[in-house]
Amino acid sequence: MHKIWNFHGGVHPVENKTQSNQLPIIVMPIPTQLTMHLSQHIGKVAKAIVETGDYVLKGQLIACAQGVVSANVHAPSSGHVSAIADRTLPHQSALSGPCIVIDTDGKDQWATLTPTANPESLSKPDLLNLIQAAGITGMGGAGFPSAVKLQPKSNIHTLIINGAECEPYITADDRLMREYAAQIIAGIQLVQQLIDQPHCLIGIEDNKPEAVAALTYAADQHTNIEVCVIPTKYPSGGEKQLIEILTGKQVPHGGIPADIGMVCQNVGTVKAIFDAIILGQPLINRITTVTGKAAANAGNYEVLLGTQVTDILAFAKVDLAKTSRLVMGGPMMGFTIQDTHTPIIKSSNCILAAADLELAPVADHHACIRCGQCEVACPAQLLPQQLFWFAKAEEFEKAQDHNLSDCIECGACAWVCPSQIPLVQYYRYAKGRLKTINSEAQLAEASRLRFENREQRLVDEKLAKEEKRKARALTAAAAQAAKRAANPSAEDPIAAALARVNLKKQAQTNIAAQKSPEDEYKELKTAAAITRTKLNKTRKALTNAQAQDHEQAQELQQTVIALTTKASAAAAELHAYEVKLGLDPEKEKTLQLAVAKANGVVRKLEKSLATADDLQQLEAEIFNAKAIHEAAGLALEEHQANAKEKPTSTQES
Amino acid sequence: MALVNISSPHHHGLSKTSRLMGWVLLATLPGLAVQSYFYGYGTLINLLWASVLSLGFEAIVLGLRRRPIMPYLTDGSALVTAFLLALALPPFSPWWLTLVAVLFSIVFAKHLYGGLGSNPFNPAMVGYALCLIAFPVSMTQWAGTESTLSFGQQWQWFWLESIDGGIDAWTRATPLDLMRHTKGLTLNEVASTNPQLGLGLIANMWVNVAYLLGGLFLLAIRAFTWHAPVAMLAGLGLCAGLFHMGEPDLYPSASQHLLTGATMLSAFFIVTDPVSGATSRQGKLVFGAGVGILVFIIRSYGSYPDAFAFAILLMNLSAPLIDTYTKPKAYGHQPKKPHSQGDK
Repeated sequence: MHKIWNFHGGVHPVENKTQSNQLPIIVMPIPTQLTMHLSQHIGKVAKAIVETGDYVLKGQLIACAQGVVSANVHAPSSGHVSAIADRTLPHQSALSGPCIVIDTDGKDQWATLTPTANPESLSKPDLLNLIQAAGITGMGGAGFPSAVKLQPKSNIHTLIINGAECEPYITADDRLMREYAAQIIAGIQLVQQLIDQPHCLIGIEDNKPEAVAALTYAADQHTNIEVCVIPTKYPSGGEKQLIEILTGKQVPHGGIPADIGMVCQNVGTVKAIFDAIILGQPLINRITTVTGKAAANAGNYEVLLGTQVTDILAFAKVDLAKTSRLVMGGPMMGFTIQDTHTPIIKSSNCILAAADLELAPVADHHACIRCGQCEVACPAQLLPQQLFWFAKAEEFEKAQDHNLSDCIECGACAWVCPSQIPLVQYYRYAKGRLKTINSEAQLAEASRLRFENREQRLVDEKLAKEEKRKARALTAAAAQAAKRAANPSAEDPIAAALARVNLKKQAQTNIAAQKSPEDEYKELKTAAAITRTKLNKTRKALTNAQAQDHEQAQELQQTVIALTTKASAAAAELHAYEVKLGLDPEKEKTLQLAVAKANGVVRKLEKSLATADDLQQLEAEIFNAKAIHEAAGLALEEHQANAKEKPTSTQES
Repeated sequence: MALVNISSPHHHGLSKTSRLMGWVLLATLPGLAVQSYFYGYGTLINLLWASVLSLGFEAIVLGLRRRPIMPYLTDGSALVTAFLLALALPPFSPWWLTLVAVLFSIVFAKHLYGGLGSNPFNPAMVGYALCLIAFPVSMTQWAGTESTLSFGQQWQWFWLESIDGGIDAWTRATPLDLMRHTKGLTLNEVASTNPQLGLGLIANMWVNVAYLLGGLFLLAIRAFTWHAPVAMLAGLGLCAGLFHMGEPDLYPSASQHLLTGATMLSAFFIVTDPVSGATSRQGKLVFGAGVGILVFIIRSYGSYPDAFAFAILLMNLSAPLIDTYTKPKAYGHQPKKPHSQGDK
């Protein structure tokens, strides 16, 4: 028989399968209302193509797939569309999603079906179209549109059929394999026909001997279909785990099974493919297990998609008063629902109505002691205890580093955790946060790229303009040259213009350079005065500082020295300029004084004129004084005139 | 009908922290019995005293930290610390020595670092190392095997550190002490001049065998993986064996190393402490081997006769570094060699 490999980790929860797998599948009667979600699959929401009030037939297409990853939705029974509105989604969040609600008329009237009597004649595109049209999605749990999965880009050598059904309590696939073995094998052959006859391995856990027997019998005549019995160990039914068990190979990180030449399909899915191609029936019903201690008639039921949980519970005689937890799916990966009007969708394999204490109670969890039991149990070979610490500390990047994305949320870690920590919840939280963080980062990156592209574009445009301008200039120059060549006698107008401009510029510079000596003298004088004032001020401050023994005294002393130097330098400069100008402020001052003095004498004498005894002598004195004053004034004028004359002469020389 | 809304999985195995701790406590019993048989009632008195103190301190600190007291008190971790300390401390420990050790273990090494699961160092080893440094004399009072005291005498010693009638020669150097302080004699000469060495070795061996049995039991019920203890014993055994081959007069043989002192107690009850050890299985191999090698080095060249407390604390320090470099490859990250389960 086929060689079986082991996968890392795994746990052995109590199976609890016998409650529901003893009786044959029971067909549930048509409920009065069907709620068909437009999103029963992974991918885009299907688009409704019926209106409220329309009469629909069983199997009639009521919503179209949108885009590549999406799936058609069909009416599971005949009746009137009573509403197209939002209803509770079968999801932990209990959010709502768009639905087509059909009030059934009980006639269960089929639309016209087109069965295929001779499937061998069908081409690959025909097969794919039929599968796509029938709205088939993965029936094992994830609900990925099968038509997408069945057109792999690489060469497929192995087809894996998943009949492991490793979740406790669930027996839908078990009963399906027992009762529809022939259809499953026929479905497998159709898939093989579609993807170049790969070798087929059917993996079934050894706790389902009847299913193994039925399929082995049905596959007896087919050399390229092998039934493989695998040890019962949760989660052997995980796609990646089953591939490892049956082939010893691992799907590369971030890849899909097709990357290593494999495609995996659930037994329910291949049965649906059989129905779609051979019988022409779209996917409108499925086998769902109803089990748990609160269910009096636990078993497997063939239910129409869209049937509300409450109808199923009533049919299976579930005592709602006894039910403490309603789980859709199995106890390891299923989610709780609170709204019993939630409908069945294509991937709903189980409804678990658990009585009190049947499932793990909501326990207060203890501290993680890093015992490592989770690591031993983890089928993805992760370090769950580290991921837990990272998620708790919100160190999401570290969690990503420790391959959080490889976590399949199987719950084996939480199952073994002695501290009863809800580990999976922490991982879901971290995954959600990482998704947000990454999408934000992507957004930021996109904006950055957009901005950079815009900047680049602007630069490019500028450069292009410059290029154009240069090209134009070149053409013009060439034209000029041509003109000159044609008429060499003419003076180059550009050169002439440039010469003119240069001359003008030079003249302007000369004018700017000529500063009047008076202004210059004034400037120097002001500079000297400012320095002097500064020096005096600082001296004063220094005296103060020294008096108060202030620590700044030293600094001030330095400043005083510096300023003294500066002041003397300014005075020297001023003096030099004065000499250069021929100015002699000292002499001028003396002359001014003499004039003032003489003036004073004249005034004084004139005043005493009124009271004078000897008028003649006084008048003579006044005359003398006036003469002296005049002479002094003349001397001053002469001096000033000399000073003004001198710089002009130096300038001119 | 009140339907709850909680996250999967809805199933849980039987594993529980308190159960795990209970198994560990149970597994120490053979060792405790043999130790008491050879060294008298001291260990038992110590154990009771340490347990009372440990639970008391735990409750007080939990109260101070405003944590729920009963759930944490019943998880058994405080008792495990108490047991390990009592088994590691000499039978002639007076009441205050145990008190200091337990106080430091529970309050400082455990709760000041955040309580169960957050302590970087093994609490029992921190308490032990503190006493070893602070009270070296009290920490070496191991009974000689030939003269065990009555319960009354032991009880008196425990509280008063004196015994009516002044019995002497009731403590002896341990085999490890003797083998260390050979004063230039070869091991054979030491054995011939110290008749009690042979007896000590036999007692030591039986105690170690008892702990080994307890450890194997824990391994069988998968309380921990084999990696850390096996790596530790291999590390110690290999070093000892190699040196013994080179210089048999100076270095005791591997079997003597493995069956004296606290080797087995450490290997199965302390090195396996998950909180302060390395995380992954590869990491546990490195961690265990490191402890083994350090124990050999300290026993052979250090100034303390036995070395587990220091070796383990040193490796506790290295655990985060080990974790960084021993991250296992996750599913799909390596071209893996499949491990076969055989044809069916």
